[in-house]
Amino acid sequence: MNDIEIKKIFLQVFPDLEESEFNWKKKQNEYENWDSFSHLNLITLIEETFDISISDDDVIKLKSAEMLLNFIEKNK
Amino acid sequence: MNTIIDFFRNSVKNFPDKIAVIFEESEISYKQLDNLVNSLSNSLTHLEKASIVSIYLENSTDFVVSYLAILDAGMIAHLIPTNLRKEKIQKQLEISQSKLVITSKSMINKINSISYNCEKIIFVESNYNETHPNEAIKIHNENAYLIFTSGTTAEPKGVIITQSNTIFTTKNIVNVLKYTESDVNVLPLPLSHSFGLGCLHASLFVGSTLVLIKNATNTMNILKEIKQYNATTFAAIPLTLNKILKEHDDYSNYFRNLRLIITNSTSIPIKTVEKYRDILKNGFLATYYGLTEASRSTFMIFDKLGRETSVGKPYNGVMIKIQNESLNELETGQIFIKGDNVIKNYWNNLEADKKIIDYWLQTGDLGHKDSEGYLYLDGRIDYLINVAGEKIIPDDIETVVKVLTDVEDVVAIGIKNEMYGEIVKLFVKKSVNSKITKFEILSQCIKNLESHKVPREIEFVDDFPRNEFGKIQRFKLK
Repeated sequence: MNDIEIKKIFLQVFPDLEESEFNWKKKQNEYENWDSFSHLNLITLIEETFDISISDDDVIKLKSAEMLLNFIEKNK
Repeated sequence: MNTIIDFFRNSVKNFPDKIAVIFEESEISYKQLDNLVNSLSNSLTHLEKASIVSIYLENSTDFVVSYLAILDAGMIAHLIPTNLRKEKIQKQLEISQSKLVITSKSMINKINSISYNCEKIIFVESNYNETHPNEAIKIHNENAYLIFTSGTTAEPKGVIITQSNTIFTTKNIVNVLKYTESDVNVLPLPLSHSFGLGCLHASLFVGSTLVLIKNATNTMNILKEIKQYNATTFAAIPLTLNKILKEHDDYSNYFRNLRLIITNSTSIPIKTVEKYRDILKNGFLATYYGLTEASRSTFMIFDKLGRETSVGKPYNGVMIKIQNESLNELETGQIFIKGDNVIKNYWNNLEADKKIIDYWLQTGDLGHKDSEGYLYLDGRIDYLINVAGEKIIPDDIETVVKVLTDVEDVVAIGIKNEMYGEIVKLFVKKSVNSKITKFEILSQCIKNLESHKVPREIEFVDDFPRNEFGKIQRFKLK
């Protein structure tokens, strides 16, 4: 369930991203548009969706969809 | 030397075989760069003199060639940030009356989807015209480049920078920060912004080497380039400097050869200043305060203890005054700037021109000085939000959220954040019986705003603090 939500959030923050191109292991620096601002948008949507709070230190460590999913599974 | 092309050609003459720009492992010498500039410039001479030519490119050698070629052809370069939404690009093209847009294969679709009629070309070397037309038509225009900034209204203001503004500022950067031809400068900042462009000018002025990086997100890549090319200087916004400290334990290994890290006036945490002062054994961290309209108005070199929160002092005849009711510059007031770095007027905008009174630019920034004249920033006189150096008008965000029928009213403000300087917080008053969620509001923002404008926090309120006339008192929400 969590994975479906995360995927949805990615497709929302990166509207040019095709669903077929979504990859759990793909890292921030492999995305064309995943800059510091989009990163913050991802985090804000994830916090809101899963009702969690992510600290500034953790924010910068979460650099792939897989890392975000693992973080949520651990902290939710 | 009266123009940007003059100082570039001076370096071509002095250091023809030296590497001018390195981008993604590809190197280009001053002579090779000049050949490319000449060729592209020849291809632009069909346009009327002093036409606006827009550049919509990410950082690349192509950007540098296009920029210099536009100036060489006697045109004015309009620099479009690549993160702009297409409605904003259209607005800029309309206001500037651009005659041609130079873009890349990957970005041409966005430009083609804009309903503005002008020539649009993809940057490829076959654009170049190898023939040599009459050199006499290549008279450099005094207006050099145009950058749009957020005004206090939704209408963007065109800031037109002259050759003399640029020559003055470039000499100032070179003299204060001691750039020389032996420097190797790593630059992950967008060239479409004043900070990045000023670094390009300084590098070309002294004949040093510029290592250009497309974006600042991948800090590992930045560190690798610093090490690989034995960089001596590195320019970055405070956000990038903070990220390096947090993401890499071994950062100091990469900085051994650096003599300078230059950052800008977005607030820098004191801890960051202290850490970089410790790391840079053979160099120093420096910052500056400036606006696109008044580039590099002060410089602060953190070479000794104290004044970690100051943005420094003006140099070479630039003047700064603080205006407040107490007539005491040690107390907070609005910052005014005068000097050869200050623009004379905005681009076809008489309303904005009122901000320049007797050559003094009214900045909208608040600040104070200490007893030795060092400047400290204290916020804004209006409610402009500064997220990692990107300035945002609250109205831009509020208009997008007010479209939602379940929202009665909304206020966006900037709140302090250690990493970003400020982040956007939204206060929302729902309509009666509204069930709107924060997620829906965020989605609306993500769909319709540039990514730096999307709020980080949302709070629902019953009403806003108001004055006796019912006007919202934004300062009480801070």
